Amino acid sequence: MAIIEVENLVKKYPLPDNKSETFFAVEGISLSIEAGEIYGILGPNGAGKTTTLEMLEGLIDIDGGTAFIDGIDVSANPYKVKEIIGVQLQANEYFDNVSLVELLILFGKLYSREIDAENLLNKVNLLDKAKAKPDDLSGGQKQRFSIACALVNDPKVLFLDEPTTGLDPQAKRNLWDLVLELNGLGMTIVLTTHNMEEAETLCQRIAIMDHGKVVAEDTPQELILKHAAEPPTAPLHGNIEDVFLALTGHGLRD
Amino acid sequence: MPTKLQRHLASVFLKIFLRDRQSIFFSLFFPIIFMTVFSFANSGQQDPIKVGVVNNSASIVATDFAQLLIDNPLFDVTIGEEERLRNELIEGDQTMILILPESFDAQSEGAELQLLVDAAQVQQLGLIMPLLQQTLISIEREFRNIEPMFSLVVEDVQARSQRYLDFLLPGLMAFTLMQLSIAGSGFNIVEFRRKGILKRLFVTPIQPKDFITSIVLARMSIVLIQLTVLIAFAVFVLDVRILGNFLSFYSIIMLGTFIFLCLGFCLGSIAKTQQAVMAVGNLVIFPQIFLSGIFYPIESMPALMQPIAKVLPLSFVSTAMREIANNGASLLSIMPSLIGIAVWFVVAFVLATRLFVWKEVAN
Repeated sequence: MAIIEVENLVKKYPLPDNKSETFFAVEGISLSIEAGEIYGILGPNGAGKTTTLEMLEGLIDIDGGTAFIDGIDVSANPYKVKEIIGVQLQANEYFDNVSLVELLILFGKLYSREIDAENLLNKVNLLDKAKAKPDDLSGGQKQRFSIACALVNDPKVLFLDEPTTGLDPQAKRNLWDLVLELNGLGMTIVLTTHNMEEAETLCQRIAIMDHGKVVAEDTPQELILKHAAEPPTAPLHGNIEDVFLALTGHGLRD
Repeated sequence: MPTKLQRHLASVFLKIFLRDRQSIFFSLFFPIIFMTVFSFANSGQQDPIKVGVVNNSASIVATDFAQLLIDNPLFDVTIGEEERLRNELIEGDQTMILILPESFDAQSEGAELQLLVDAAQVQQLGLIMPLLQQTLISIEREFRNIEPMFSLVVEDVQARSQRYLDFLLPGLMAFTLMQLSIAGSGFNIVEFRRKGILKRLFVTPIQPKDFITSIVLARMSIVLIQLTVLIAFAVFVLDVRILGNFLSFYSIIMLGTFIFLCLGFCLGSIAKTQQAVMAVGNLVIFPQIFLSGIFYPIESMPALMQPIAKVLPLSFVSTAMREIANNGASLLSIMPSLIGIAVWFVVAFVLATRLFVWKEVAN
């Protein structure tokens, strides 16, 4: 059963240098994400990944099409949607001078919940940092803490925007384990990434976006079979990175 | 009544502030230094007028006359050579020089006393001249043993004369509350946006009104605590007296805080970067420092500026606070200021709610 249904989603902006022309950040994408799956959205910079997530999270207005999460219309009832989703944003800074425990309690209050902060910190392996301030954390710890904040309302869907960007391999693997563990408990997870290995390891299905459109969507294995250019010397097909480059080209993006 | 969430968020904001020792120190440091400096600089009576006396007469009358001047507390007399005293006058060490002519004795009729002044240095010449004349007349009377027809007895009706510090305190309080409020809403919002905190809050079910209410609650407490510390310092250490009702005084403080918090929300919503909010903030703060009658009365400003100065929000707040503190005015008797405060209250509130749109401000 699909928990996220997106049809013909559109986000447009006036062009910065020519206000009369519009630029489509997202141009009519449709997605159907199953309950309990880890779904990856890949794409070069500026493909519209973050814009798509922000529309689903209610951060920015939907200019066209429809989006439903757990049967709730995102445009019509953004506050109901916010109750059932957990969000980790690319920026993960918090108030100064407030400890992790205090921040988690505060986030709980935003959902009118009394939460067990220690238990949550334990879940993301940060119990020993309970009294620390976010500024004292390493990159990997910060990302794990962001996920802890996103879990205070026991969300049905967890959105992760480039969760492992900038992390060292150990921290990255550690975060993958956490994502798999949460998914094992039945949580639907939607993530964007630039890391092909991550998409291949974590995601049951992947959508590849470019220029505001979904150019391919399938399981990692199917995508490799269909799109990866077969290296002449290799006995096996390539990997998701080959798929990605085959579909979005080698041109540099800003 | 604030909701549980609003109270909790306010307590977090309060905690953030209380843990930031440095900014607490600096927000108290400036007004305290200011008050202390002015209390020293302005503690005494009017300084005696420095008069150099050149006695060209050898008569006893002239010597007695000089002695009478020396005994008069209004004058600080130096007796010396004309040449030296003239130099001192030019240097600014003497305010004026009085030259007693050779013919200065009891027999002389209408001897001419010469008074040398440097008009550029003696702005209060108009004040000193009658004083000097008066003194000369009374001295003359004493010599000639004439009973004065009238005598003027001056009685101070105020139990204590007003010092500059008494004037300054309410203005300084108003200025401090403006600073704390605009920083509390405007500067903080821009900082929260830069860090992505507003965006993070926006993906939770919190409503903008919860967020705004919490900031207002937290800042209101901070301003009340800080001003209470400053007032206590002024009253107990510097001996400043607040004549009016404390309840009225504090209600004006709270109204003023609310106005400047709302204006801060406007600034924070318009300005997108820290530099921009500083620039726009200074545009709001600076003219008010000089035009709102904080350091000197609005009435002493050029007539052209007065109508503008009088309608600034800080003018209404500081005038109301001064009326209460210095003259013991009741809320009813400061209606014009109260009406001004009310108008600004409504304007600032409407503007803030129009400009502070979650979606716009967070992104």
